[in-house]
Amino acid sequence: MDTADAIMTSDEKIEIESIKGRSLLGDAWQRLKKEKKAVLCLGIVLFYALIALLSWWGVIAADWGKEVGASYSPPSSEHWLGTDIFGRSVLQKVIHGTQIAMSVGLISSAIAIPIGVFFGAVAGYFGGWIDELVVWFYTTFSSVPQIMLLMSIAFILGKGITTVYIALGLTSWVGLARLIRGEVMKHKDRDYVQAAGSLGAGHGRKLFKHILPNVSHIVIIFTSLQFQVAIKSEVILSYLGLGVSGQPSWGTMIDDAKLELARDVWWQLAGATIAMFVVVLAFNILGDSLRDALDPKLKGKD
Amino acid sequence: MDLLSIRDLTVDFNTPEGIVRAVNGISFDVPKGKTVGLVGESGSGKSVTSLAAMGLIPNPPGKITGGQILFEGKDLVGASDEEMRKIRGNEISMIFQEPMSALNPVFKVGDQIAEVLMLHKGMNKKEAWQKAEELLHQVGIPDPKSSVQKYPHEMSGGQKQRVCIAIAIACEPKLLIADEPTTALDVTIQKQVLELMFDLQEKYKMGMLFITHDLSVIADIADDVVVMYRSNLVEKSDTKKIFTSAQHPYTKGLLACRPSLDKNPSRLLTVADFMDEQGNEIEVDPEKTKLASKPKQEHKDDDVLLEVNNLHTHFPIKGGLFGKTVDHFKAVNGVSFKVQRGKTLGLVGESGCGKTTLGRTILRLIEPTAGQVIYDGVDLTKLDKKQLREMRSRMQIIFQDPYSSLNPRMTIGETLLEPMDLHNIGANKKEKIDRAKWLMEKVGLSASQLSRYPHEFSGGQRQRICIARALAVNPDFIICDESVSALDVSVQAQVLNLLLDLQDEFGLTYIFISHDLSVVNFISDEVAVMNRGKIVELDKAFKVYHNPENDYTKSLLSAIPKGVPKELLEEGTR
Repeated sequence: MDTADAIMTSDEKIEIESIKGRSLLGDAWQRLKKEKKAVLCLGIVLFYALIALLSWWGVIAADWGKEVGASYSPPSSEHWLGTDIFGRSVLQKVIHGTQIAMSVGLISSAIAIPIGVFFGAVAGYFGGWIDELVVWFYTTFSSVPQIMLLMSIAFILGKGITTVYIALGLTSWVGLARLIRGEVMKHKDRDYVQAAGSLGAGHGRKLFKHILPNVSHIVIIFTSLQFQVAIKSEVILSYLGLGVSGQPSWGTMIDDAKLELARDVWWQLAGATIAMFVVVLAFNILGDSLRDALDPKLKGKD
Repeated sequence: MDLLSIRDLTVDFNTPEGIVRAVNGISFDVPKGKTVGLVGESGSGKSVTSLAAMGLIPNPPGKITGGQILFEGKDLVGASDEEMRKIRGNEISMIFQEPMSALNPVFKVGDQIAEVLMLHKGMNKKEAWQKAEELLHQVGIPDPKSSVQKYPHEMSGGQKQRVCIAIAIACEPKLLIADEPTTALDVTIQKQVLELMFDLQEKYKMGMLFITHDLSVIADIADDVVVMYRSNLVEKSDTKKIFTSAQHPYTKGLLACRPSLDKNPSRLLTVADFMDEQGNEIEVDPEKTKLASKPKQEHKDDDVLLEVNNLHTHFPIKGGLFGKTVDHFKAVNGVSFKVQRGKTLGLVGESGCGKTTLGRTILRLIEPTAGQVIYDGVDLTKLDKKQLREMRSRMQIIFQDPYSSLNPRMTIGETLLEPMDLHNIGANKKEKIDRAKWLMEKVGLSASQLSRYPHEFSGGQRQRICIARALAVNPDFIICDESVSALDVSVQAQVLNLLLDLQDEFGLTYIFISHDLSVVNFISDEVAVMNRGKIVELDKAFKVYHNPENDYTKSLLSAIPKGVPKELLEEGTR
């Protein structure tokens, strides 16, 4: 069959393309575009992502560790956000912190999503003892306060950014698994899944080809909300001294600020907090708008 | 002065695609103590008209842009919310299609009836509950004293609709609007509910506006009929005239497309036979009229394709703290029958009789508890997974709800290609796509629509897609599980014709499951009547319908709406 595909003419390829129409994602994008605040928030998120990428490539804020002025000089035209105790630029630290924050959101989602989708889908689809086992597992897991889990994982793996990724990834899949399980249960008895069964589709095909695409919007919504949870959690972990070390993150900056405030040095706290506040707010609003745009239940009500 | 006069009513809806006119300048009257039937297919604007009369058009997106709704001479279009609240439920009340969702599941039935009484009649709780009991008695619910204490889920569908009626008549309204009140009910229940509504109307001298897509339902109870088509009023007349000398081609089509028990034509006429796309009347093709009156040929042969022997499907009933199986619900309880190749077996019964479970057990979508299903010499119940998968290309199923049986995230092209991929039909993608196009044309759709998603199609079109999907694997046997029940009568006729054409062309064998006896009579060669998991009568369709032997079959048959007003029937027999 692959060889047959390979020898097809371009005309035939176009013909195959023509059986793909405007997808649900396309539809959702049309709806999202109409909402000004969602577009604005998407813009903010993309801006942060760009900053993070540039910082990662070393285009900007590569030498955040360099001493650029006197210790604790207040914001000025030269140093927009002032300097810290070692005379390093706070702006550069905030930019480097953006890179940390975005990577924490991205990598922790990348860890949490496969786990959550797998457990949720399997439990919801097969039901019975598999469901009971999975539900037992995640209810037990989630009955331990998340901060305790985060701390214990951090203690086991030692301090560092990798720990933050893994700790946040491993502690945040439960909510997603619950949502996916519920949606899969709802869909598995729908006629279109039965129809696939009557055509001879096996479990794998029914679950992955038919059901999962119909619940995939949950993953998108989850990711956008997970980002802001992860960013906040990184701040808390770092503030507790369990997170990032050796490089600046918004969390360590806020941690530093607790000593600085007594000396009227407010700019490091302000820089990190505002940077975090804006992106968390943007992700939150975007998440809500995505839910409205993607959720088929609300479709047609606009 | 008429009770309700609608004058040049126009309702517009603001949608992302622009302004849609749902009701276009219609006028009609509902006189005091009379019943007016409002007939039309889904999307014709009939429900919007009734919601407008109740002041319930959601705004935005809807807006009454012109005309008057005069209730006892008072225009309701400009009435304030306060005034409308006083009228709603008190002077005009409404019954909805879905009794399941029209009642609030967390309140007792008594509470829900008492609520209206306390609101509009100023009764105290005790009086209201007493009145509620009395009302339940009036609508024929057994043991009203304990029934007021029940929650909606403890009642059957028919009983719930009776409760809705009790709520609607609680304040003795002057006008009752009933929006498809019997569409979701079985025929025997439908008959009882219709009789109840008729009696109550006589008793309270109410005006009634009865909305339906099925003319035969209102034949007996309506005094006048108003027919709506694509937002316009196309015909209004008294009921007898509509049935004897309909003027508008759409009305003629509606009357012709409903299968009846007396005639057994080989093809149904559809609305499209009477009018063209623009709504102009066209000459009915005499060839089609001939087909429509020609009885189906009965030919005998003894080529059995499917044989079901003493089939059982039981579901465990779990109880107790640890979910032990305490009993079994015998959905299918010892069923045996044979289906001839190229023929149609109709399977009728009321909801809950096990007909759907039987259909799915035959295909082993549900595993049987005991018994044999022999398909072309092979016992399906003995097959392992792989063998069964191979057999699936020969047996297909078409479901009831065309809205949920297509995957909303797959295009029609992908939906049609999937079965071919599964069963290796077509050498390469090009051949498969060609086949998909051919299938689309076979079921009366355009090949260019393959890239569309299901939500871009109407109910009837979706059902055609489901048929195309079933045909994609070249089956010789198809189970149609209530496949036309969710469709408007006019669309239903087209789909039934399509099924018959395909049967002729491909030599298909059908099991046609339905609660609608007239539809089954039209399409089937043999009919099996099912009740409580068992087949109570099985014979040639003609025999079952004209000489039923079983009492249950008799009661089912007598409940079918005759589709013509009583007086006309009497005249006919004289």
